[in-house]
Amino acid sequence: MVSEGKMVCPKCGSEMNFHGEKLTLSSPGDSGYNRSQGGVLQEFHSCPNCGAGASRIDYRGL
Amino acid sequence: MESRPLFIPVILGTVRKGRMSAHAARVMHDEVAKRQGVETELIDIAKLPLPTDDDGQTTKDPNFAAKMDRADALVIVSPEYNHGYSGLLKHVLDSCLKEYVHKAVGIAGVSAGPFGGTRGIQDLLPVMRELGLVTIFWDVNFSNVYNSFDRDGELRDESTLPFIDQFLKELIWMAKTLRHGRESVPLE
Repeated sequence: MVSEGKMVCPKCGSEMNFHGEKLTLSSPGDSGYNRSQGGVLQEFHSCPNCGAGASRIDYRGL
Repeated sequence: MESRPLFIPVILGTVRKGRMSAHAARVMHDEVAKRQGVETELIDIAKLPLPTDDDGQTTKDPNFAAKMDRADALVIVSPEYNHGYSGLLKHVLDSCLKEYVHKAVGIAGVSAGPFGGTRGIQDLLPVMRELGLVTIFWDVNFSNVYNSFDRDGELRDESTLPFIDQFLKELIWMAKTLRHGRESVPLE
């Protein structure tokens, strides 16, 4: 489930579709570092209107 | 239904002088350009800034990242060097991540020998997965590359063309399907 509701497209302002997430390696102390997973969990979103992609950190469970 | 054309750039994955892969990349680019509803561009990594004073996405080139963001699929033309792929290709690919996720990729291997870069392709596959790209199950293999192209870089060995056709049919199908998924199918 997406962390903060629908993401808004930075290019056209439409609501984006959340379609993926990935754990990226990082260090304790980095913004969004998830201790239980050992990295930063990023969410990936795509815009159904213009096709733009965007990502944000998933802060759930921190 | 689809209003926006697909964007499928071709990445020439080597910077070496005299690279025969440039001919292969041009052929791939020209074949992609023939497809209806598809826009393409040849991206030569030799023309990209390749900083080595930082790591991963901190070396991102904004123009390359914008093209990866716009892309629905990628064609990577990768020569095989000592049973692997070019280190600078990896360096460029590692500069992005979110731009790739759930997009299709097909790989064209190039080699001087008879195997058409298959070993380099095999080494690239796990990298593609980790970048979030989705590989197709057709490859293109430009083997015996010094004989496959003439001095002007024209393709002599036209037996490769039917394989390119199959490769692009699948890549375009995957690109359309994944675009639909990215934009319309939420991860529950």
